[in-house]
Amino acid sequence: MALTTTSNQADAEDLVQETLLRAYRAMDRFDGRHPRAWLLTILRNTNANLHRRQRPGTIGDWELIRTARPAFGRAELPSAEDSFMDHEMHADLAAAVLALDPRFRAALILVDVHDLSYAEAAAVMGVPVGTVMSRLSRARDRVRKRFRSIAHNRGDLS
Amino acid sequence: MTGTLRQMLTCHWSARRIQRYLDADPAARLTPGEISRLEEHLATCERCTQVAAEHRALHRALSLWSGGTTVDPRSVDRVRDFLSTMNDEDSP
Repeated sequence: MALTTTSNQADAEDLVQETLLRAYRAMDRFDGRHPRAWLLTILRNTNANLHRRQRPGTIGDWELIRTARPAFGRAELPSAEDSFMDHEMHADLAAAVLALDPRFRAALILVDVHDLSYAEAAAVMGVPVGTVMSRLSRARDRVRKRFRSIAHNRGDLS
Repeated sequence: MTGTLRQMLTCHWSARRIQRYLDADPAARLTPGEISRLEEHLATCERCTQVAAEHRALHRALSLWSGGTTVDPRSVDRVRDFLSTMNDEDSP
């Protein structure tokens, strides 16, 4: 999450450390529920504060994801479908995601890429769960329609 | 004519629930009745089945990227060291 947020390994590390420090200091105000969402909210606020001091930025910067490659030492070889997704679809898919409104893109990345629940994504984005669902639905529908036309043109998703 | 209209309404009803069905998120679960109705519809409607397949494929494609976001193990070690330092400083 920090990597996606900052697009930079060193910045991500700083962000995680600052987040943990703030979380530690705020521990007595934590009610014990939804620890991941609580921590991610602190991370979001910390990132916003850091950017306020440094440079503009957005949650869910797609650049890092777009340029990412599978980890070394993968336990098993990717399936043919995975290979197709990795090597053929990623540029088109990334373009489709990049074309989204940043608010919709953030919902899509948090839920589908980072596997956050609706409630966790809502905490990170600072919006109600219903808003996350609405943005996610719109984002997916837009990307899916583009994804569909690309896949159908290639004959890979019939 | 009535059958076609009913089918269209069911497709519309299903389209509004397919993502929640696939996500099965605790914050927005479908009721057992809704799940049954949706699954019955998907069993017979080619178009909605296609939409569900596209959602699955899209989610799969997007989730692959999370595996590509690698964290440098040295970063993890440094964060752990940082946590240990915080803990040590707080210990009496």
